[in-house]
Amino acid sequence: MKKILPWFIVFLLFFLPGVIQAQSQIIPEDSIGFRDFLIVQKEVPGLSYRYVLGEKSISDELASDSIYQFSKTDTGYVSRLISDFDLAERLENRLVADSLDYQLVYFVFSNLSSHESTYEYLANLIRNGDYQVKFDEDGPKEDLVSLASKAPYSPLQKFKLRFFSDYQLFGVTLVIFFFFLVALGMIVFMLVMKARKNKRENLLKEYERIIIDPLTSLLFEKELKEIQEMDQNEIEFYFPQTLLSKSLYKDVLVERIIGLNKRMKGEFKDKLKSLYKKLELDKNSMDLLRNKKWDRVTMGLVQINEMDLVEALPEVKKFTNSSNFHIRSQAVAILLNLSDQVDLTFLRDQTFPISLWQQMNYLRIIRFASLQKDLKLEVLFDSQNSSIRIFGYKLVRMLGRMDLIGVLSSIAGGVAEEEKIEILETYSTLGAHMEVDFINECLHAQNPNLNLAAAKAASVLGNSESAEILFGLIKSETSFGNKLHYLKSLYELDREKFDQATLDNSSNEILKIKDHILDPMLQNV
Amino acid sequence: MYSFLFYLILEFLGLMFLILSFSVIVIYLILMILSAFEMRDYIRKNRFADYGDIITSPIAPGVSILAPAFNEGQNIVQNAQSLLSLHYGKFEVIIINDGSKDDSLDKLIQAFELEKTNYAYNAEIETKPIKAIYRSRNMSYRRLTVIDKENGGKADALNAGINIADLEILACIDVDCILSSESISRMVRPFMEETNKKVIAVGGVIGIANNCDVVNGTVTTYRVPETQLGKFQVIEYFRAFLMGRMAWSRINGLMLISGAFGFFRKDLVRAVGGYFPKTVGEDMELIVRMRRYMDEQKIPHKVGFVPDPLCWTEVPEDEQILSRQRNRWMRGTIETLQLHQAMQLNPKYGILGMISFPFWSIFEKSAPILEASGVIYTLILLAIGDFSAVYFIALLAMMYLLSLLVSSFSVLYEQIAFNHYKDKKDLQKLIWMIITEPILVHPKIVFWGVMGHIDFIKGKGGWGIMIRSGFKNAEEKKKLNPQVTSS
Repeated sequence: MKKILPWFIVFLLFFLPGVIQAQSQIIPEDSIGFRDFLIVQKEVPGLSYRYVLGEKSISDELASDSIYQFSKTDTGYVSRLISDFDLAERLENRLVADSLDYQLVYFVFSNLSSHESTYEYLANLIRNGDYQVKFDEDGPKEDLVSLASKAPYSPLQKFKLRFFSDYQLFGVTLVIFFFFLVALGMIVFMLVMKARKNKRENLLKEYERIIIDPLTSLLFEKELKEIQEMDQNEIEFYFPQTLLSKSLYKDVLVERIIGLNKRMKGEFKDKLKSLYKKLELDKNSMDLLRNKKWDRVTMGLVQINEMDLVEALPEVKKFTNSSNFHIRSQAVAILLNLSDQVDLTFLRDQTFPISLWQQMNYLRIIRFASLQKDLKLEVLFDSQNSSIRIFGYKLVRMLGRMDLIGVLSSIAGGVAEEEKIEILETYSTLGAHMEVDFINECLHAQNPNLNLAAAKAASVLGNSESAEILFGLIKSETSFGNKLHYLKSLYELDREKFDQATLDNSSNEILKIKDHILDPMLQNV
Repeated sequence: MYSFLFYLILEFLGLMFLILSFSVIVIYLILMILSAFEMRDYIRKNRFADYGDIITSPIAPGVSILAPAFNEGQNIVQNAQSLLSLHYGKFEVIIINDGSKDDSLDKLIQAFELEKTNYAYNAEIETKPIKAIYRSRNMSYRRLTVIDKENGGKADALNAGINIADLEILACIDVDCILSSESISRMVRPFMEETNKKVIAVGGVIGIANNCDVVNGTVTTYRVPETQLGKFQVIEYFRAFLMGRMAWSRINGLMLISGAFGFFRKDLVRAVGGYFPKTVGEDMELIVRMRRYMDEQKIPHKVGFVPDPLCWTEVPEDEQILSRQRNRWMRGTIETLQLHQAMQLNPKYGILGMISFPFWSIFEKSAPILEASGVIYTLILLAIGDFSAVYFIALLAMMYLLSLLVSSFSVLYEQIAFNHYKDKKDLQKLIWMIITEPILVHPKIVFWGVMGHIDFIKGKGGWGIMIRSGFKNAEEKKKLNPQVTSS
């Protein structure tokens, strides 16, 4: 704003003088024109005029004329101050006729003024709007009625358009009208929508109530085979076609079946899946995959996943590298969940980085799948995508895959420091004592985050060399927080060394940390 | 000559007010459109989010809840219990007793069997002296830590909490807020979802609990408050949270998340030196400084926003208290903008510097001054007889209808997204408030805003010279003389 303001003022200063100039040009600059202009104006506030005669003597008749009211001066005569220029102009005729030496002088507020000053004064008055200029109005020379009869008929069209010709007013009125309509529309829409939403909510409750009875009776009264053998008439008995044709009813039905499927186990799950297909809701789910809207596609994928629609897998595979986060996540989740042999190569080949949210969802599925299937997690270590590699190391830790420690060990030296931190945590969690050399190597690294991760791992897996390195790090470390971490690790690893590090040290900081570590109330802090 | 200058100024002001009026209209229409898109996307995305896993998943980040308390003895124990019962796996609750004069600390010690510890407190961020840090031997309260410190204000208390927070995410809340049991899992989601940009903070919606039924820490029945000021704040909160912040979130231009309910990445908060205790707008200042830091480090980042109703608070319905709150908010805004004036129209700071900052400077900070000037301008025009009634009424009608439009839009949002106020009478009350607010309440808000400006000029509560000269960069706060910071 500060920068714009000077420019704006410059802009105004550039254009405004033009406007002002235009106003002052109303007054003619030449003396004859100026006089004519004053004649038309007659009286102008603050302006007056006086005749000054250079004659030593004038006729008695003129001297006593009450219109002029001449007074004698050292140099001649001066008239009274005349405020009407038209009158002053008419009085000039007599002076011309008498061949007198005279001069008309201007007064502004009774002060003698030059022609230029008078001009300037008048221009100012007009510019400021303090004086309304009069124009010579030539009155009709003929009778108005006869003049009007000569004019062609026009039905006041010009007058009617005056509103439209004031563009600003017209514009503002339009905006107001638009706002009024939109605001009114909004309020009406709000009320209508509220009524509809309440109606929809009531309908949802009603459908849920209608659906729950047939669903329960089908689940608890019929065997799986009976459900599979149900014909159209039987289905219609439970779920009438009139209701099934309503999309809201169908949505509630799908939601209900999926909700029950999530909570139930064993044969009940099979019954629900069978029913889902009997009601042809699976086709509905498959159709959603062809929808253009990402949320509908994702909805289809969710339904396929929840209802284990294995036949949809080839279609689902197409979405694993979709640019849409939600579609991609769901597609990967389905493949992990439904594939007979969980081949993680499709995950390895993902080009998009995976977020913690995706990792969390995949972990849940992979954890479940790992109980039944043999998962080749090591393929993830070969991914070009570092987020996938990191997820792979996490999976080793979270699934307790001790068998992969050797593979990790072979690659640990050559990976980025961020990945090393993850590997260290995996070693620490799984108790990989044989990797102590790698831990010690990381304790020597330049990256403080890697040092801290290594110190944490050393507290569980370290050896005497680790204790020595930690001792050195404590001495050289300047950060209070890091010192606390190193001392904690040393305390866990080697009490003797810890005592050595704290007893020999008179630093107030170290003593504070020691008290903290030894306080049983702060064991996990 | 003077007369000419006077008329020139009048012309200039007239043009300026016209430009401003139209800018307000255009900007609010854009905000409405942006927030509509954002809300639509949020509702769609939320359908597929399963929050069940996040509570137990080892991948979910840990959250340190920081709740400063000053003379909250009456409800402190219930509030702490409510925080400890939130549904989340990895979290800790740090209550900071900011030199309370009442029995807050005694009540906490008694209720949670607290004992003094030898906590090695490291004032990485300078704070007022810490008297003691308490923890409980009772495993049921293992998540709770209580800091007892000398009074230094909310920002100082939060800084003390930040110094001892152990987990990745900081949840800074007002201790008297009612949090939904799933508030943490919902607020943590944006931190977990993003891969291209680092999510540095996430803000949430604050709901108004006045006149509502609260059961087990959740609002079960919504009712519009009885008082005019209460109803006005319901509409205002809808406008601010559901429209304003959703729109700014859409273009990643959020400059403010509520101090009563905000989540931050701890490493970054520490990197910028925590809250700045010498401003009354510490919540906004921290976000601006964090964003400034990220821009100066050239790290792509984002401030997220979750529109779900997860946190409720009682708003002041008393005119005097509300006026003090608004005065404080205005001073906070001015101070923050002043401290970070180097960002103004600076392309280095992207959307924040080029759009959000100028918007806040003109339409938030200067709005009361401009509106008051508009009234004075109209009176001058009336006095000199240069007043066009048609234009005045037209312009007034236009601004009134805009207010009507924006308010109805935000209420409509609430109805579409959450539909909390189920009773038709409540909706009617809100509509009536929308219609009368510009006449009955808005002038008061403008007046309180102007008073905020006057108090800022007088130097009330702020840190005069420092705030006026501003920070040269985001990290400058860290370099300030600690004694000066804590004075």
